[in-house]
Amino acid sequence: MAAIGVHLGCTSACVAVYKDGRADVVANDAGDRVTPAVVAYAEKEEIVGLAAKQSRIRNISNTVMKVKQILGRSSDDPQAQKYITESKCSVIEKNGKLRYAIDTGEETKFVNPEDVARLIFSKMKETAHSVLGSDANDVVITVPFDFGEKQKKALGDAAGAAGFNVLRLIHEPSAALLAYGIGQDSPTGKSNILVFKLGGTSLSLSVMEVNSGIYRVLSTNTDDNIGGAHFTETLAQYLASEFQRSFKHDVRGNARAMMKLMNSAEVAKHSLSTLGSANCFLDSLYEGQDFDCNVSRARFELLCSPLFNKCIEAIRELLDQSGFTADDINKVVLCGGSSRIPRLQQLIKDLFPAIELLNSIPPDEVIPIGAAMEAGILIGKENLLVEDSLMIECSAKDILVKGVDESGADRFTVLFPSGTPLPARRQHTLQAPGSISSVCLELYESEGKNSAKEETKFAQVVLQDLDKKENGLRDILAVLTMKRDGSLHVTCTDQETGKCEAITIEVAS
Amino acid sequence: MLLLPSAADGQGTAVTHALISASTLCQVEPVGRWFEAFVKRRNRNASASFQELEDKKELSEESEDEELQLEEFPMLKTLDPKDWKNQDHYAVLGLGHVRYKATQRQIKAAHKAMVLKHHPDKRKAAGEPIKEGDNDYFTCITKAYEMLSDPVKRRAFNSVDPTFDNSVPSKSEAKDNFFEVFSPVFERNSRWSNKKNVPKLGDMNSSFEDVDAFYSFWYNFDSWREFSYLDEEEKEKAECRDERRWIEKQNRATRAQRKKEEMNRIRTLVDNAYSCDPRIKKFKEEEKAKKEAEKKAKAEAKRKEQEAKEKQRQAELEAARLAKEKEEEEVRQQALLAKKEKDIQKKAIKKERQKLRNTCKTWNHFSDNEAERVKMMEEVEKLCDRLELASLQCLNETLTSSTKEVGKATLEKQIEEVNEQIRKEKEEAEARMRQASKNAEKSTGRSGNGSKNWSEDDLQLLIKAVNLFPAGTNSRWEVIANYMNIHSSSGVKRTAKDVISKAKSLQKLDPHQKDDINKKAFDKFKKEHGVVPQADNATPSERFEGPCTDFTPWTTEEQKLLEQALKTYPVNTPERWEKIAEAVPGRTKKDCMKRYKELVEMVKAKKAAQEQVLNASRAKK
Repeated sequence: MAAIGVHLGCTSACVAVYKDGRADVVANDAGDRVTPAVVAYAEKEEIVGLAAKQSRIRNISNTVMKVKQILGRSSDDPQAQKYITESKCSVIEKNGKLRYAIDTGEETKFVNPEDVARLIFSKMKETAHSVLGSDANDVVITVPFDFGEKQKKALGDAAGAAGFNVLRLIHEPSAALLAYGIGQDSPTGKSNILVFKLGGTSLSLSVMEVNSGIYRVLSTNTDDNIGGAHFTETLAQYLASEFQRSFKHDVRGNARAMMKLMNSAEVAKHSLSTLGSANCFLDSLYEGQDFDCNVSRARFELLCSPLFNKCIEAIRELLDQSGFTADDINKVVLCGGSSRIPRLQQLIKDLFPAIELLNSIPPDEVIPIGAAMEAGILIGKENLLVEDSLMIECSAKDILVKGVDESGADRFTVLFPSGTPLPARRQHTLQAPGSISSVCLELYESEGKNSAKEETKFAQVVLQDLDKKENGLRDILAVLTMKRDGSLHVTCTDQETGKCEAITIEVAS
Repeated sequence: MLLLPSAADGQGTAVTHALISASTLCQVEPVGRWFEAFVKRRNRNASASFQELEDKKELSEESEDEELQLEEFPMLKTLDPKDWKNQDHYAVLGLGHVRYKATQRQIKAAHKAMVLKHHPDKRKAAGEPIKEGDNDYFTCITKAYEMLSDPVKRRAFNSVDPTFDNSVPSKSEAKDNFFEVFSPVFERNSRWSNKKNVPKLGDMNSSFEDVDAFYSFWYNFDSWREFSYLDEEEKEKAECRDERRWIEKQNRATRAQRKKEEMNRIRTLVDNAYSCDPRIKKFKEEEKAKKEAEKKAKAEAKRKEQEAKEKQRQAELEAARLAKEKEEEEVRQQALLAKKEKDIQKKAIKKERQKLRNTCKTWNHFSDNEAERVKMMEEVEKLCDRLELASLQCLNETLTSSTKEVGKATLEKQIEEVNEQIRKEKEEAEARMRQASKNAEKSTGRSGNGSKNWSEDDLQLLIKAVNLFPAGTNSRWEVIANYMNIHSSSGVKRTAKDVISKAKSLQKLDPHQKDDINKKAFDKFKKEHGVVPQADNATPSERFEGPCTDFTPWTTEEQKLLEQALKTYPVNTPERWEKIAEAVPGRTKKDCMKRYKELVEMVKAKKAAQEQVLNASRAKK
């Protein structure tokens, strides 16, 4: 069975299919793996994708962009108001709902944002069908973490209207984690992952906890003022100033010239991610004058350094907010097209020197691949409705055991991490010197990273009368099982003699 | 590297204190296969963790293998392989005790064990004599394995398991111990169900939903039991296609028949159970009781409502009555008061009158002349009659306080005033009368012949004519006009139109004028006859109003009856009028006679009038 994952971003959409155990991004009919989420309304047709984006120079008032920002929002939403003021295509309120007013020559057509999204989804469906065949309609769609119920519903409805069978809506950072298969191979253990998503219009950061293969968002932050478009804008402004320097003419007030510069800057920005320098050439930019300019990567990085700093600052803030340091983060996942910028990756690497950035999958394809993998997991399953089971019981505190290290100092090690979905069982093989005849496991509970204090000791398990062994270590198997209410059962077994002690600790009521 | 420390002396396994915090609820992302596994596990309500469950499963499977014990089938060696259809395959494999519950693994193991023990080669090696050909009983073991290892064939065999008890308990059996009788039967039959989780019969305390679910399940029982094992002909044995088809058809028919029987059996079972089920009875009774209670409650409510209404109505009535009484009382009081007042006033006036008279008397009525005195007395009496209390008092006052002369003057003045007043009143009344008669004139003279004055005689004549020729007479108004012209003494020629308008105006006349006319007619009558029979005062008016005003008018029906009676009893019949009266119910003899006379008169008048019309027309010609 084949399934589809779709990521609809503000500026672009991408589709991946899950087939034969693999998830792959599908290139659209133009051969691009990412389709601009732009819909242009011409006199008699609707154009989706690259063609619409390219034609916006002449058809700006009838071209709908960034539809995701307004989808499912009402007119009193500040985000929607901001969007309305920025949008080149007029948005009006009609019957209590926001509509695009499209001028089709004779009459004004009112278009639902949902309809625009539907057109994009239809395009994505076509793209997916080009490799799967027309009967595969099961899809998982990603939504930003800050999407509300209404927006989710609007997006889901739009996908449904496009002919998709929506299996589930999942959050973008989770999809990114899933694309890398984090925590999916061995379900024990716990790690913290930072998902860095720099999209077309926004930067969204999330710290995720992966425990027993289950993902949890610990904290998240979205900044709408940094995005790929801002980099392009910066570059375009630079190009405009260059034009002014050489031709003594300011084109900033000319919308069409600026649009041309933006297009050129975007191309240049993309090539600067791989090349050292990029050339911008524009025929008759203004009053028949051609514009030719070479931008080096260093120049670009210099221009955009305030934006980069903002990104890094945002990461720092998020870590502070969630009470983590850079060392607590085990992995960083990069996604969103702008995460390709080499300088940005370098800066993040500097921030997390000890760990590796996960960028083996092209950042703008990570999320749809994750969605496709989820679709692959869900397909053929029943009872996909999980809304009520999203809250699950987790252990509240770390369970630690006290031991001594080689130097003889007391050390604690975590046997049962906090935040483990319950019920759960953890098994550890602990070691004790063979020269002693009894072993004592002292169990402590603690919250956060503070090491356990003496008063938090809640139980001890003692194994006595063990066979003494000259030089060597004995293995003690400790099995901790916690039930949903949080009560703990501990079993310790000496591997050689088979001696066993068990204990059950209830929760103080 | 962490090493566990050794325990101090005397330390044992112990719990120092309970865990401080219970589990916390966390929101997780619905993503990934571990999440799915977690949700699935949770939905199954598995208490242990995933790994533990799997461990347990493996363990139980192992133990099953160990437990497998084969029961040796004592008849095994005497079995005839040709008669394999009638053999008990489970018993042959030594699984007679587990039967349909045996797992594939058990069957396989059992077969292996049997083969090891009973294979001809093994037995040969053990020195047992072996029959040649297919007749060895080992074929039965092979056959049994063949049947049981194939799920389809095994199902077919299970369907006709010879040890299965097909019996259905009758209703009488389950009279007293319903659950003991039916529970095992349903338990037994539930193995045929295609669906898992067959509902249990339950007990007396089962809820209505459970019982309902149980019976709806069994009434819609979906059985996998089929009877292909009992096929008499084997399809494989057929030699040609046609024969195969025929066999197939036969088999299908018998299978369908058996299936039907089976379904009937289940149906009977459920029917029996349903009819015997004490719970159903209980539920029905409960339902009935509930309905009755509802009905009762409804009736009660209705009754209450009615009572309340009645009460309200009565209260209203009472209130109305009280109000009325009060009002009456008030009216009575007022009347009483008014009466008292009136009495007082009357007394006062009487007193004053007396006083006036006395004063007059004392002054000898201001005159010495006898005639004058009488006149004065008369005048004083008039004064007494007419004067109000106040003016009377005033008059008395002046009379008593002044001298005779002044008194006389005052009295005379008063008398004059009174006389003046009386005169005025009289004049006014006359004027009013004149006005009224003038109005009448005007209304009659409306049609343009005001000149044709209607004298009293003419009016009388008109009234008489109108009464004589009642409505319905042929060209009534012309006849009347003619009659008038002939009989009138005034000699004024009147047309039918005049007559109509006058008659109408007469009809419209107010009672005052009618009275006027009556009076005038009476005066004339008096004049003519010279005598005034006071008692007969009402006669003319009666005549004017028309005949038999005192009696109910004759209806057409009564008229008909009367005519019929007149015809049936000719003039010479003895006691004719009594008989006629009998024939007309509701009328006395007198009534009838009177009516007859009227009729005769009417007929005569009509005839005369018609003759005159004829004469007139002839004359015109």
